[in-house]
Amino acid sequence: MDNAILIFDNLSIGYNGQPVLSGISLSIARDSFTAILGANGSGKSTLLKTLLGLIPPLGGGIEAASPNGVPLVFGYVPQAVQFDPVYLLTGFDVVLMGTYGRVRPGRFVPSGERAFARECLAAAGAGELAHRRFAELSGGEKQRVLIARALATRPDILVLDEPTAGVDAEAAHNVLEFIAGVREERHVTVMLVTHDFAAVRHHARQVIWLHRGKVLCGSPEELLTSEHIAEIFEIGIG
Amino acid sequence: MEALMKILSPDFLLRNSVYTSVLVGFACPLVGVFLVMRRLVFMGVALPQISSTGVAVALSVPMWIGLKSAGHSAGSEHTLAFAGSTIFSLAAILVLAFLERRGRGQPEGRLGTAYVVAASLSILLLSKNPYGEIGWLDMLKGEVITISNFDLILTAATLTLVLATLGLFHKELLLVSFDRPMAITLRKNVVFWDVLLYLLIGLTVSMAVLSVGPLIAFGFLLIPALTAHPFARNMRQFTIMASLCGGVMAFVGFWVAYSIDLPVGPTDVVLLGMLYTAAWVIHALLPAELR
Repeated sequence: MDNAILIFDNLSIGYNGQPVLSGISLSIARDSFTAILGANGSGKSTLLKTLLGLIPPLGGGIEAASPNGVPLVFGYVPQAVQFDPVYLLTGFDVVLMGTYGRVRPGRFVPSGERAFARECLAAAGAGELAHRRFAELSGGEKQRVLIARALATRPDILVLDEPTAGVDAEAAHNVLEFIAGVREERHVTVMLVTHDFAAVRHHARQVIWLHRGKVLCGSPEELLTSEHIAEIFEIGIG
Repeated sequence: MEALMKILSPDFLLRNSVYTSVLVGFACPLVGVFLVMRRLVFMGVALPQISSTGVAVALSVPMWIGLKSAGHSAGSEHTLAFAGSTIFSLAAILVLAFLERRGRGQPEGRLGTAYVVAASLSILLLSKNPYGEIGWLDMLKGEVITISNFDLILTAATLTLVLATLGLFHKELLLVSFDRPMAITLRKNVVFWDVLLYLLIGLTVSMAVLSVGPLIAFGFLLIPALTAHPFARNMRQFTIMASLCGGVMAFVGFWVAYSIDLPVGPTDVVLLGMLYTAAWVIHALLPAELR
């Protein structure tokens, strides 16, 4: 693929030398919207962690195609439930962390970066959450703040780990619409882990489906047919 | 009031003890805030005790190798104790943090065992050291009496270094504590920042233990931070309130202890405990919109 931003080359992923998935070879197109599907334990989180550099690959590699040789910036949106409420951080404090990659250690965050963090909060529709304590926000509000933080990194690739988990249907719809809008406006590549088939059909241009150690890759039209879904679930039942 | 005027007088005989207590009171909560946020409260209990074992071991080494420490100056004895305290603190925090991160076994059991063994070992070592009994056992019990100018300067310099480093790298230390995966994606060297934080904690603990003993060190590490947390709205308030709470209570504790002839360490810690209880009750009684 000529316009690939990421190329997975015979990638093997897992923990402590034990592979969860092996032989992953696929590419992610620049500015694309890719959905990662799979049951619990299928390796979605392991794939995400390997992609983000949180755990090393067991074999193969991920080639990042940066146009100017600068390392790609990942805007990571984790699940909101994983944060400890003991931290007394406001929505703005959390978003400001997104700018830390551009601020050298020991330096204060410049006013320009602070203004950009406010812009990101506003863009995510979370401007009014700036002074509220992050731990006290609802699931949907936290998700918006975390998306704003990811935008504040000025990402090449936005990586979202089940951003609609624990969020009501309306808020989930709004979050996904916003992400799709960000992709179009800012030309950001989106990789989204989700269980929401309807959202995948509506937004995604590429689907990576992890199932029992196999990696299926294709368009939603190819993979999300009723026949294919039935076939996959038959494998699951069998 | 007469006792207060005496304590505030520049000619007060125990002025170095007052200054040291207050310095430790202000500084310990600053690293205690990170112990509370990282859910390492039990480590805050065990570390001062392990640090004091380092003091006991360091003071026993000359006796073990056949050197009589009677000829040693107070300065060299202090240097030895500082080395022992720092080495034990840093080694303990790095090992315990490594085990914590691996997530195997029972962290509470590990820290509880480390605490009780360290406490017993330090008393045993010093009770068998004829020179260790002079002053050091009192220090381990929390008697802040004999603090030389050298001790005071060393304490002030170390705590200033810790404070400056915490202030300078606060955003990196906070990011790595709050969201480690995010820090990695931003290409921060998380191991470096973790080790730096542990070094700061270890250095503060060893300095505090050496100056005022493990009892006060533990009290000031955790209780001010736990007291301030429910009332603070953001990290800056949390840090400032915890530090002020520690510094002010260190002074009040000294004043009360001096006025009614009590040992300073236990007085400080009991007062901190009373403040914590009062804060908890007040917070529970506050209307929901003010909490």
